[in-house]
Amino acid sequence: MSALSKTAAVIVTFNRSAKLMKVLDALDGQTRRPDVILVVDNASTDDTQALVEARARDDLSIRYLRLPKNVGGAGGFHAGLKAAYGLGAHYFWVSDDDAYPQPDAIERLVHAITAFEARHEWRPSFACSRVEWIDGTLCEMNTPRPVWDWPRFLHPEAAWALVDSASFVSILIPRWAVEKHGLPIADYFIWFDDAEYTRRLSRSYPGIFCPESRVIHDTPDNRGVNFGLVDEKSLWKFKYGARNEASWRRREAGLMGVLAYAYGVHLQMKGGNVPWRMRREIFRAIARGMTFRPKVVPV
Amino acid sequence: MPFSITPQAKGKAQADETRSSMTSMTALAPVGEDPAEHIQREIAEIVSIYSRLYPTQRLHFILYEGNDPVWSAPSVIEGPFTFQPQHVNAQFLGQFERPGAHPGAASVTITLSIPRKPLPGEVKQMDAPWAPIRRLRAVHRLAPLVYEKIRYQAEMLRKRRSVKRHPRVSLLRGDGSSLLPPPRPPETGKRPAILIGMHWLEVGGAEKLGFDTIRWAQQAGLRVFVAAGVPSIQRLAGKLPDSPDVTFLRLDRYLPHHLWPRYVEQLALAENIRLIHIHHCRPLYESLPQIRANLPWVEVIDSTHIVEYADGGFPRSSGVWSNFIDIHHVISKELVDYYREHFHVIGKVRLGRMLDRSGHPKGLPELNMQPGKKRLQVAFVGRLYYQKRPVVVAEAFRALAAWARRNDVELTGKIVGEGPFLDTVRDLLRRYGLADRVALLPADAPVPEILRQSDILLLPSNNEGLALVCYEAVEQGCIPISTDVGSQAEIVPQDLLVPLEPQACVKGIVAAVDRLWRDAAFLSRQREALVRAWTGLTADPTAEEILMPVYQKAASGQQE
Repeated sequence: MSALSKTAAVIVTFNRSAKLMKVLDALDGQTRRPDVILVVDNASTDDTQALVEARARDDLSIRYLRLPKNVGGAGGFHAGLKAAYGLGAHYFWVSDDDAYPQPDAIERLVHAITAFEARHEWRPSFACSRVEWIDGTLCEMNTPRPVWDWPRFLHPEAAWALVDSASFVSILIPRWAVEKHGLPIADYFIWFDDAEYTRRLSRSYPGIFCPESRVIHDTPDNRGVNFGLVDEKSLWKFKYGARNEASWRRREAGLMGVLAYAYGVHLQMKGGNVPWRMRREIFRAIARGMTFRPKVVPV
Repeated sequence: MPFSITPQAKGKAQADETRSSMTSMTALAPVGEDPAEHIQREIAEIVSIYSRLYPTQRLHFILYEGNDPVWSAPSVIEGPFTFQPQHVNAQFLGQFERPGAHPGAASVTITLSIPRKPLPGEVKQMDAPWAPIRRLRAVHRLAPLVYEKIRYQAEMLRKRRSVKRHPRVSLLRGDGSSLLPPPRPPETGKRPAILIGMHWLEVGGAEKLGFDTIRWAQQAGLRVFVAAGVPSIQRLAGKLPDSPDVTFLRLDRYLPHHLWPRYVEQLALAENIRLIHIHHCRPLYESLPQIRANLPWVEVIDSTHIVEYADGGFPRSSGVWSNFIDIHHVISKELVDYYREHFHVIGKVRLGRMLDRSGHPKGLPELNMQPGKKRLQVAFVGRLYYQKRPVVVAEAFRALAAWARRNDVELTGKIVGEGPFLDTVRDLLRRYGLADRVALLPADAPVPEILRQSDILLLPSNNEGLALVCYEAVEQGCIPISTDVGSQAEIVPQDLLVPLEPQACVKGIVAAVDRLWRDAAFLSRQREALVRAWTGLTADPTAEEILMPVYQKAASGQQE
C-alpha cells in the first residue's frame, strides 16, 4: 500500500458547460477533494473555456487542457490521463462531464482501494462507483461487469465485488496500473474505450465495484448498450462501438471471437427489429474492426 | 565599478585570511600594480563564492591568466588532486589555499582563469559587425531582401520543427508524504532577502524589468541578491542601486552551472532568501529541484516575455519547470494563452504589463500625421540585431522614399539604436541614396522627443513580446506599424499589422503609410483603434502591481 495519495480528477468535456460546472461544484464539495482537477476540453465551441478559465484563476488546483480538435471521449481520456500522469498523481479519478459525484464518492473509492489492499494484499487495478441515473435507478450504460468469482472478498461491511470492466464514469485508477498497462486507446474515438481499458488493467488484477461510492449520471435517457436499440440518431455511436469491440475481440480472441461477437450483435438487432439498412452498417463496422488495430500507447 | 558593491568583496576579514594563506603568488609579481589589483579583486570574488559553496572544506585554488574577458572557465575537483603537465602551463599564475574548518576537512580543488579586463572596443560592443553567411554573400549584395527571405524561411522551418524537438511538457514534481515532513526554514536573525536571477546585465526588455524588480524588492524591504546566468561584461552592473542591501554575485563568471543549485541552497540558508525571481536565468531554473526539495518554504516567481520560434525560448523553459514555480508573471495575453495551451496552467499565471502607471498621460494626443501632409518623418527605435530586422528597416525606408517621390512628399527618417547591424544599415542607406535623409542615432538619443516629431514608427521585427516602444510611440502621437508577431496585435490595430515575410512586410508598410496619408477616415479609425488598445492595456494590472504584494509578503516573513 502506498503512502502517497495525490489524486487527480480527469474530466473530459465537450460543449456541456452548464453540466461541467455542476461537476466542478460537486468536486468542490468532496470530503476528499482531488489535489488536481484536470478539465480536458475536446475543442468545445460553447462558453466552456471562459467558464473554466474564470474558475481556474481562483483555484490553483484546476488545470485546463484544451485539445486542438474534438478527438472524442477516447482521445480526451487518453490525453487527460497522460497529462495527469505527468503531474505526478498517484490516483486518477476519471469521469464524464455530466456525472455528479456525491460528496463522499471519491473518499470512499480511495478508502476502498487502499483498504482492499491492506486486507487482502491483492492490488485492485481500479475502483468504480455505483452510477445512478437522475431518478436514482441504476444507470444502465455504466453497469460494471463482474468476474466469475466476484463475491470472493465480498462481506456485508465491505461489499466490494470483483469486476473486470467498468465505464469512465467515476472510476479511480492507481498510478501503478497506468504505468504498467499504458493509456486508453485514443483511436477508438468513442465507445468501448473504457471497457477495453479496464479489461486491460484487469490483467494484473480485477477492479472492485464500490456501491457505497455513488455518482449521478445526468444523461438524457437511461438506456443500456444493446444493439437492439440502434436507431437513426444513435447509429453513428453504435458503429464506433461495433468497430472498436470487434477490433478488441480480434486482438484478444482471434477470428472466432469476432464471429461470436457478430452473432451476438445479430441476435440483439433481430430482437430489436432493427431495420436491415442499419444492420448492414453495423456489420460493415464489425468487418472494419477486423483490420482496425490501434496501438496501445505506454505512458 | 560593478564589483565594489559586493559585500563578499567587502568581506575583508575573509579576503585577508585568504591572502595570508596563499602559498605561491610569485607569479603576480611581474604584472604591475594595476593588473595585481585586478587579480586580487577577482580572487576576493572567487573565494567568497567558493567559501559559500564549500564552507567547511579545504579549498585549493589554482589560477591561470585568462584570455577571455568574461568567463573564468572554472573546473572543480572534489577530492585529491594530482598535477599534470597541462596544469602548469604557460598561463599558470599560481595557487593558494583556504584552510578547511578542521584539519581533516575534505579537499576541493578549483582551477580558474582570471578573466582579463575587457578592451575599450569590447566594452562598447561585444558582437562583431554582422556579415551575411559566406555562401549567400552575393545574394545579400545583389538583393538584401531576398537574403532576408531565405533567413525568414529558415526561421519558419525552425518554428515548425520546434514542437517536436522541444517538447512542451512540464516536469513532474512529487509533493512527498506527510509521513516524512519537509525541511523547515532555519531560525535566522537576518532580514528576508530575494534572489533575482537575470539573463545578463545588458540592454534589453527583460533586463529592464529585472532592474525594476530589483528596485521594487528593495522598496518592499527585502535585501536583494542578483545573479546573471550568462557570462558577459555585464555593462549595466554599474546601474544597480548603490546600496548595502543590493549584492551582485558574479556566479556568471566563476561558477559552473552544475554547481549553481548547491550554491543557491547555501546562499538561501545563510542569507534568509525567502523569494526567488527568475528573469530568463537558465541556471536558476535548473536549480529548482534543489530548492524545492531542500528549501520548500522559498517562493519562486518567474517573468517571461517572448516565445522564440526555434525552441520556444524562456516561456517554454518556464512551462517545463512550471510544477516547481509558484507564480508565472507574464507581460502579454499571448503568454497567458501560451501557458494555458501548452502547460494547462491558468491560476498561477499573472498578467502584469511593463507599464509605469504614474508615467502615463491621462489621454492620448492627436496623431502627428495628417492626411496629405507634405513632410513625413518615419522612425525606427530598437537594438540593431536580427530580431529587429534592420535590413528590412532599410528596405522599408527605400520603398517609402520611392513612394514619397511619387507623391511629392518630403520624407525623413531617424534610426535609433546600435548593434552588429549598424554598419550594414549604414551601407544600405548610403547605397540607396538615403544617407542624407535618414539619420542614424545612438541608443541614448532622446526617444520620446524623436517619437513626438515622427509620424510613423516602423517595427518590422522578426519576433516581439509586446514592444515597449509601441506604447511610447502611441503616447507621443506617433503611429506604429508592426509585423504581426508576438502580442503586437494587443497594441497595434489590425490594419497596421503587416506580414512577417520580408517582401510582403515592406509592401505592407508602404501600403499602410499610403492609406494613412490618403484616407482621412482610415486615419481616424486607426486613431480610435489605437486609443482603444492603449486604454485596454493601461487598464490591465502593471508588473509592479502584480509583483509588489508578493515582495511585501516575503519581506514581512509570511509565506504562501
